[in-house]
Amino acid sequence: MSVESRSLTERLGTGAWYGYVALVALFFLMPLFSLVIASFYDGRFFSIVDYEFSLDWYRAALASGSIRSAFMNTVRISVPVTILSTIIGTGGAIAYTRYEFPWQEQFKLLALLPIFFPLILLGLGMSMWANVIGLGYGVVPSIIGELVWISPIVMFVVSITALGIDPNVEEAARDLGADTITLYREITLPLIKDGVVSGAIFAFVLSWNNYYIVSYLSGAQSTITTWIHGRMTQGFTPVVPAVASLIFYVSLLLVVAAFVVEFREESG
Amino acid sequence: MSTIDALRGRVGAATESDNPFMALVRPPYVLLLPLAVLLLVMFVGPMLAIVVFSVQTGNAISLSPSMWTFDHYAEIIGGMASGEGVYGDVLVNTTAVSAVTTVATLVFSYPAAYALARKIERYKTVFLLVLIIPLFTSVNIRVFGWALFLVKNGVLDSVVGLFGVSNYPTMMYQRWTIILGTTYVYMPFMLFPIYLSMLSIEDETLAAARDLGANRWTLFRRIILPLSKPGVIIGSLFVFILSLGADVEAQILGGGSIFTMASNINYSFGYSQNWPLGSAQAVGLLIITVICGVIILRTINLKEIASRGDA
Repeated sequence: MSVESRSLTERLGTGAWYGYVALVALFFLMPLFSLVIASFYDGRFFSIVDYEFSLDWYRAALASGSIRSAFMNTVRISVPVTILSTIIGTGGAIAYTRYEFPWQEQFKLLALLPIFFPLILLGLGMSMWANVIGLGYGVVPSIIGELVWISPIVMFVVSITALGIDPNVEEAARDLGADTITLYREITLPLIKDGVVSGAIFAFVLSWNNYYIVSYLSGAQSTITTWIHGRMTQGFTPVVPAVASLIFYVSLLLVVAAFVVEFREESG
Repeated sequence: MSTIDALRGRVGAATESDNPFMALVRPPYVLLLPLAVLLLVMFVGPMLAIVVFSVQTGNAISLSPSMWTFDHYAEIIGGMASGEGVYGDVLVNTTAVSAVTTVATLVFSYPAAYALARKIERYKTVFLLVLIIPLFTSVNIRVFGWALFLVKNGVLDSVVGLFGVSNYPTMMYQRWTIILGTTYVYMPFMLFPIYLSMLSIEDETLAAARDLGANRWTLFRRIILPLSKPGVIIGSLFVFILSLGADVEAQILGGGSIFTMASNINYSFGYSQNWPLGSAQAVGLLIITVICGVIILRTINLKEIASRGDA
């Protein structure tokens, strides 16, 4: 009797914890729900009662030349940022986690500090600096600017995977006569592969969604996020939710993909 | 631990060379060089630019190191000290937004982090996925989603309209609307550090304490709270510095009528084209960020995260 009642209160307790986390999850998804609902709505003002499903704003978004060029600029920035930050960040992670060198902790401090900087601070500092050193503004400065924030994040993600590897494995490979290239190709890189893949996906999604840095460095070129920001501050245009939703769907797919990579790592 | 270090030292020593220039093209230097150069040129440089521009005179957009002044600091600090004018408002708004955001994210995240780490087993991956998705969505898009939710004739309006509620004061363009936005945007930065620190608490510890007669309150006060402290410190500092830099939230949800430090800095750069004045305000933000960032990095133990990240 007493055992039964205790398991009932325990079950109720667990249910309450699930309920609370579900509420937090709902809060986290609320603006994204609102966005997607609004993007399919056929009209200027919203009403749940006479809501009519429509794809018109998506069609309008895809047909617009200015949106397409903003989209192309975002791709031109995100793809190089993904490739370069994955290489730079992985290099930093391997150096920090698999070797010992002087000033190692200072290197870690410098390398990971940009993660904790408000992006507005990075953006405006880079904007003035780009003017001082003659780098200018546009796609290339935006790529370099985003690398400063995203490479450290890749380094962080890859470091966590790399610290999970037993250093004896590398030592054993060396004792068996592996040179540095063989060691990396056969041992180190395969072991940290999952970390590098998630790091690369995160790099792409963060670059894809970046606003603060590109808004200070892209100059006359507009990207999707600066385009959305410009339209938002000028008042409501029904095509904006559709464009924002398109950006969100891409991010959603990739984050789910990164999760699958991580999950496979856990179960395998 | 020391064996691992010794082994790693041997791995490093095996690649060392007598010629310091040759060492640069070998690991680890060849691996860390790109990142170090990138950050020295494009991170340290820009931060120095902020400091140097803040003591330039007038509306300079190029540097002239021979002419410098502390006038901008005097203007800002004077305004903040007297509490009048735009700087008085900025100080009150920024402090209110950042402090309330930090407290609110802590209060709402702590139970959720505890539940995720210790109570939730089924669908845990799904919950984690849902909670991480906003982190990878543009801040513009998320803030815009809240505007669509809160605005007149928006989602909330049409939902409460179903229940016959139609006349209530507008929810947009208030200080608390900005706080809702910053709480939403920065809550993952509180939730995940606390969640990770809660994962380090071992079931055996709790079971042992229970066997020794500890009640729930004692368990919480003596075990859970102290062991989750690093997560709370990291999360609070992280949320505090990031919400100091909240600009889009203030612009969109505050409707351009409520200025915070970040939106005022942006205004100084964008509309009034006054780089030195904007930089002087940014230096304040920079100092707070560097201090908090270094404390966070000294508190974080990457090896510990690596050992329990899979849990």
